[in-house]
Amino acid sequence: MRNITRVVLLVLLASMLVGAFGISGAQEAKVLYVANIGQDDIPHLDPGLAEDVASIQILEATYVGLTTLNEVTVTVEPGIATEWSVSDDGLVYTFSLMQNVPWVVYNTDSGAVEEVKDADGNVRYVTANDFVYGIKRTLDPNTAGPYAYVLAPWIVGGAEYNGGSGSADDVAVAALDDYTLQITAPKATPFLANIYGMWMALAQPQWVIDEMGDAWADEGTFQSYGPYALKEWAHDESLTLIKNPFWPGTDYVGQAKIDEIVFLLLEQSAKLAEYEAGNLDFMDDLPTADLDRIRVEYPNEFTVSPSSCSYGYGFNTEKEPVNDARVRRALSMAIDRQAITDNILKAGQIPAGFYMLPNLTAAPSQEDYPDLAIKYDPEAAKAELQAYLDEKGISVDELPPITYMTNETDLHKSIIEAIQNMWRETLGVEVQITFQEFGVFLDTRKNDAPQIFRYGWCYDYPDAHNFSGELFRSDSTQNDPNWVNPEYDALVDQALTENDPDVRRELYAQAEYLLVNQDAAMAPIYYYVETQLTKPNVERTLSVIGRERFEKWDIK
Amino acid sequence: MTTSEQAQKPTLVGVPELAQDMHHTNKLWVDAWKRLIRNRAAVVGLVIVILSVLIAIFAPYIAPNDYREQVLTNNNSAPRWVIDLFPNMKAKDEEGGWVTVSEDYILGADNLGRDLLSRIIYGSRVSLSVAFVGPMVSLAVGLILGLVSGYAGGRVDNLIMRLVDIMYAFPTILLVILLMAYFRATFNASDQGTFAYRLNQIDSRFGGMLFIFIGIGLTSWMNTARLARGQVLSIRQREYIEAATSVGASDFTIIFRHILPNILGPIVVAETLTIPTYISFEAFLSFIGLGVNPPTPSWGSMIADGAGAISSYPHQAIFPSMALFLIMFAFNFLGDGLRDALDPHMSRT
Repeated sequence: MRNITRVVLLVLLASMLVGAFGISGAQEAKVLYVANIGQDDIPHLDPGLAEDVASIQILEATYVGLTTLNEVTVTVEPGIATEWSVSDDGLVYTFSLMQNVPWVVYNTDSGAVEEVKDADGNVRYVTANDFVYGIKRTLDPNTAGPYAYVLAPWIVGGAEYNGGSGSADDVAVAALDDYTLQITAPKATPFLANIYGMWMALAQPQWVIDEMGDAWADEGTFQSYGPYALKEWAHDESLTLIKNPFWPGTDYVGQAKIDEIVFLLLEQSAKLAEYEAGNLDFMDDLPTADLDRIRVEYPNEFTVSPSSCSYGYGFNTEKEPVNDARVRRALSMAIDRQAITDNILKAGQIPAGFYMLPNLTAAPSQEDYPDLAIKYDPEAAKAELQAYLDEKGISVDELPPITYMTNETDLHKSIIEAIQNMWRETLGVEVQITFQEFGVFLDTRKNDAPQIFRYGWCYDYPDAHNFSGELFRSDSTQNDPNWVNPEYDALVDQALTENDPDVRRELYAQAEYLLVNQDAAMAPIYYYVETQLTKPNVERTLSVIGRERFEKWDIK
Repeated sequence: MTTSEQAQKPTLVGVPELAQDMHHTNKLWVDAWKRLIRNRAAVVGLVIVILSVLIAIFAPYIAPNDYREQVLTNNNSAPRWVIDLFPNMKAKDEEGGWVTVSEDYILGADNLGRDLLSRIIYGSRVSLSVAFVGPMVSLAVGLILGLVSGYAGGRVDNLIMRLVDIMYAFPTILLVILLMAYFRATFNASDQGTFAYRLNQIDSRFGGMLFIFIGIGLTSWMNTARLARGQVLSIRQREYIEAATSVGASDFTIIFRHILPNILGPIVVAETLTIPTYISFEAFLSFIGLGVNPPTPSWGSMIADGAGAISSYPHQAIFPSMALFLIMFAFNFLGDGLRDALDPHMSRT
């Protein structure tokens, strides 16, 4: 017996020694633990199907678009297309792609990232044909890609094919040779290079999609070519990316410096607890309730940066009593936005006078157009409501009941409770608050919206059109206020084809005036900011586009 | 024959064989009262319950502020003694502190600058209404069904009891959540003029409490029905019931004049013992956001609001939790005391 114990001890000791040497011998892998993609499992890691920030974050780390968006300056930069030319009429875009970028996949058996090979054993390189396939698959009505509608109008034949009336052959995207891609747009606009660089226009690996269908985008079979590859995906729990050594790196999209990134799916307060316990290197979306404490306890780790989202309330312009613009204007003008950002949000959010974010291309700012923006003005609000009441011959207590609806989070609840109180104190209007689960709420908003509802929007590409024509044009699917104003439609249509940025800005300012002030179909409230905590030993860039470019990050 | 002797003994002492004899009945309740006030824990419970009832009734006179009044600049503030009380709170004027010090509010303010104490005081109205309306609904439905079931027997009994079994098969909390979610979703969206619309109007006037009452009522009557039926069965064969039947008393008279008064004791005890369940149900529903409508304060929704800020401003969750804790304890002690007092053969177990 004693001998056996001794042998066991010896073996243990030896293995520990080997282990110790093993670790000290190899260079330690840099692993970054982050929590910036929410708490729910990523719905689709498929460029054709992705629509949420979490999927897009992972796709942008594992893929590189034709163009990329600089996360700090919000300008278009070369992606896998090193350069591109535009025809004189602004319609034909010709992209020259990088050569010798292999498709890669993480091999779970060997534990390494490997190049993808075809049946003959040749390495598969990313070609223009992969982009043609990817774009057509996104637009294919059978794919039912939720973001196809953003891409479809900007490629000749795209809208018809996506709508089911055209054919794939008529979509004007073509591979002139293996590394030259040509896309033709039906009309010229300033943001086409942006759109063509988005995730739904990425190259897609046809061979694996043909073989596996939508199931390809999962651990072990997910193929990509960007700075990172998918190593592990523990659904509902975490997702691990590993450095792709085969991505050659460019001036704009470099090689990854951190070896592995572990994304943890954690709820807001849980991730703060993990961060404070030292188990996370980076987190976003800090709980508002803890901001004051975080600010003093982690002054060097706490950052605030502009975000890509705007927060507002929409009015269902078809329901009593908010079918009257005066009531809507009264409600909007009775909201003290500054008090909300100062005392509830507390992270330097900016009170919004327009719904459109001011940092978009051609977007007007409330400072430049103070008379067009909506402002807190309790006296004017009372006068507007009184005019309505006098005309109807009723008192404020006889107003038809007004219901407000949102999905329930602490933040939405605090904001509406404050605004409910402002409406009560300024106007004497009582508003009932109701909550629905997020998915149900989106459906309700679309089909039978209550009088007032929360309406947030984050841009997909940084142009004013994404915040106007795509949302509130009378035929838009996102037009939940059911607001129709031909004048607005004409303004955003004109701005879309206008090239002079100053003229566009003026047009959008007029359009926003109709939306938030004259007709007040929307009550803008504030512009989001990103609140984040990053451990001091992490070197990073401060993104303002709502996603991080992790290949630029490093651990010291 | 020992069992029958034991069964008869309390009959002689406690249950009035001659319900008409008022002296006898009074003596029973006087005895019960004497037993109750000898129980110290029950008296403490009773005092707390009475105090809370008074606080709830006179809330507008007691509360220092309106529960809706917001002073946004005072958000999350706390007076000095509260900051000193919680070791993880630090005042702004200290090194590395973050809590705004304000002596305006005795227990501090919530994230919208509303007085916590006033909200706790008004919140007692919700909890206590549920504590009283819950048993009422449960009694109204359960007692009648139980009486009918036990007295009629046969097929009616079978039908009602199977219904009870079916209702029992559902997990109560799940059922209440489903009901509340259903009420909120459908009644909010109902058209003007319909019954659902009117119900929703009443509900919003009461800050969302009506649906809580209905939800709790619909899921809590089964116990009472079973208990009542059992009690009826146990005394249906008694001589005085036979006597009443033989002189031609109607079923109605027998049930309500002869049976009901004699089974009320244990049922009241059982209901009192379930009051804390109703209170916690309401708090739970409000906690998950299916209870009262904002800004109506309920301890459950206050705890939910405070829980999100527990690491920075613990007072916002702890104080309403203490109020909830106190009232639950009080009702539990009172219920225990009542059981001992009204059920003499259990008093020494």
